[in-house]
Amino acid sequence: MQDILFYIFASLTLVFGFFVIANPFSRNPVTSAMFLVLTIISLAGLFVLLHAFFLAVVQVLVYAGAVIVLFLFVIMLLDLKAEEQRKLRTFAVIGGVISVGAILAIFLQSLASSPLHADELPLLEGGTAQLGKLLFTQYLLPFEIVSVLLLVAMVGVVLLSGKEAK
Amino acid sequence: MNLALLSHEWLVVALGLCLLVADLWTPASARRILGYVAAAGLGAILLYSLIAVRPELQPACGNMYVLDGLALFFKRFFLAAAIIVLLMSAEFFDRLQAGIGEFYALVLFALTGMLFAASANDFALLFVSLELITVTFYVLASFQRTRLNSLEAGVKYLIMGALSTSFTVFGIALVYGISRKLNFNDLAAVAPQFGGNRIFLFGLLLVLVGLGFKIAAFPFQLWAPDVYQGAPSPTTAFLAVGSKAAGFVLLLRVLFVAVPDITAQWSRLLIVISGITILYGNLCAIPQRNIKRLLGYSSIAHAGYMLLGIAASAATIANTTQNPGAGAAAVLYYLGGYLFAVLGAFTVICLALRHVENEDIPALAGLGQRSPLLATTLTLAMVSLAGIPPLAGFFGKFLLFKAALAQGPAHPAYYWLVAAAIAGVVISLWYYFGVVHAVYWSKEAANLSPISISRTMRATLYACVAGMFFIGLCPGPLLDCAAEAVKALRL
Repeated sequence: MQDILFYIFASLTLVFGFFVIANPFSRNPVTSAMFLVLTIISLAGLFVLLHAFFLAVVQVLVYAGAVIVLFLFVIMLLDLKAEEQRKLRTFAVIGGVISVGAILAIFLQSLASSPLHADELPLLEGGTAQLGKLLFTQYLLPFEIVSVLLLVAMVGVVLLSGKEAK
Repeated sequence: MNLALLSHEWLVVALGLCLLVADLWTPASARRILGYVAAAGLGAILLYSLIAVRPELQPACGNMYVLDGLALFFKRFFLAAAIIVLLMSAEFFDRLQAGIGEFYALVLFALTGMLFAASANDFALLFVSLELITVTFYVLASFQRTRLNSLEAGVKYLIMGALSTSFTVFGIALVYGISRKLNFNDLAAVAPQFGGNRIFLFGLLLVLVGLGFKIAAFPFQLWAPDVYQGAPSPTTAFLAVGSKAAGFVLLLRVLFVAVPDITAQWSRLLIVISGITILYGNLCAIPQRNIKRLLGYSSIAHAGYMLLGIAASAATIANTTQNPGAGAAAVLYYLGGYLFAVLGAFTVICLALRHVENEDIPALAGLGQRSPLLATTLTLAMVSLAGIPPLAGFFGKFLLFKAALAQGPAHPAYYWLVAAAIAGVVISLWYYFGVVHAVYWSKEAANLSPISISRTMRATLYACVAGMFFIGLCPGPLLDCAAEAVKALRL
C-alpha cells in the first residue's frame, strides 16, 4: 500500500513539476503557479509517507499557502504581456544549465557516497508529538507571546488596509 | 510556570485587550479619553511594581525568563516611557486618521514586548520579544496612512526590520547548531570551549548585527533618520526611547550573561563601533533642517555614547578592576536622563508643530514668545542631550567617560575613544544650539499666536523638566539603582 502511494505521489510530483516549467496547455504564468501548488501538495504527501507529519503540514501551510499567494501577487503586478513574448536568451540558458548541472552533480555524489539499502528507520526528530509537547511545556511563554504578535499583525493589517473611516 | 512573576506583562496585555474591546463601545468623540485611562492603568502598574516587586533573582519558565534587578530597572523605565507616550498620543489624536483606540493598544503591545525583552534569558524569548516590538512598530510608524512620509517610514522600517530579523535568527541558528544551547546561563557554561569556533563566533556576530539595528549603531543606522522623520511623533518618541533601550538591555544580557568570555575578546570591536557611531551621528546631524531627522541622527550619536559604556565594561571582564560594573551602570544612568530629554523634546514637537506639515526647524521660530513653557522645555532637553551641567545628560556622559578612562591604562585605545566622544560632544553643541537659536532668536517668525496647552500636557512637560533636573542634580538614587541592577550581569 505504502509503495503504491509512494509511486503515485512521486509521479504526480514529477508530472506537475514538469507542467510548472513547460505547460503544453497554456503559457499563462498563473497556471504554472497553480501547478506549483499541486507539486508542493504531492511533495507533502511524500513527507506524510515518511512520517514527517509536521514537515508535511508546514509544507502545505507555508509553501502552498503563503509563498504561492506571494508568487501570484507578483505575477499579477507584473506586465504579463511582455513576459509571454519574451524569447529565450543564450546567457540565461547557459546559466541555467550550469546551475542545474552543479546541483545534479552534488546530488549524485551524495547518492553515491551513501549506501542504498533498507536500514532501520532512524528515530525521527521533530515529530508533531514532540514538538507539541515542547511548545506547551518548555516554550510555552514564547508561544503565548506569539499569540499577542499575531493579534498585533491582525489589528495592523485591518487598520492599514481598511477603507477610510469617516 | 510562576505566573506571579510575570505580573507586569500580563497586566499590560490585559490592559491592551481591554482597550481594544472598549474602543468598540466608545463613541468617537470620547476615544481620546481611552489614552488617559491607559496611562492611568500603566501608572497603577508602575506603582505596584515600585511597591510590591522586590529585585531578587527569580527565574520563571525554566529559567527562560528572569526577574532580577536589571529586568526590574528596565521594566520601570519602559512603563514610565509608555505613560508619557500615551499622554502624548492622546494630544496627537486629531492627526491620526485611523483608530486612535488601536494606537493606544498597539503602544501597550509594543510595551509588552519591551517588558519581556527586559527579562529575556533565552534566545527564544529574545527573538519573540524583539519581533513583538518590531512588528508593532511597523504598524505604529505607518499609522498616518494618508501621509506619504509616514508610509515611507513604515515601509523602510519594515524592510530594514525584516533584514535585521533574518540576521538575528540566522545567528541564533548558528549558535544553537554549534552549542545546542538557547538559554543564556547554559550558554555561559559552555561558551568558553567554543571561543575558537569560527561558526559560533559568526553566529554571535550576526545576533549582534540584529541588535545593532535595534539600537541604530553604525553601520546599521541607515533606517533611523528616515523612520524618525516620517513616523508620527509619539511613535518616534517611543522608538527613540523604548525600542533603543530594549536593544540595550538585550545587548547587555547577551554580552555579559551569555558570552562574557567572548565579549572580553571583542572589546576592540566595540570600541571601533562606538567611536564611529558617535562621530557619524554627530557629523550627519549638522546639516539637518528637520527637527525629527536631527533627533534621529542625535539618537545614533547617543547609541554610540552608550556603546562606549558597554565597551568599557567589556574590558573589565578580563582584568578585574575595583569597580567592574561602572560602565554598564553608567549606561543605565544615561538611559534615565535620555528618557526625559527625548520625551520632553518630542512632546514639544507634538504641541508646537501641530499645524505645520513638515517639522522643520525654522517653524520653531518665535516659540519663545508663543509659549515660554514649550520653549524652556525644548531648550532644557537640547541642553541635556548636549551634556551641559547641571542637567542629566552631563552627569551621564561624565560617568561613561570616567568608566572608559579607567580602562585607559591597560588599553590605550580607550583614550582615543574618549577623545572621539569629546569631539562628538563639541560638534553636537553646534546643532543643539541651532535649535535653541531658532526658538529664541530667529527673526523669521510668521505666526506669533500663543499656543494653548492642556493641563495633562503641562503636567507631562513639568515631569520631563523635573526628571532632567532631578537626575542631574541628585544623581545618587538613580545611580544606586543602576549599580544594583548591573549586579545581575557577570562583570
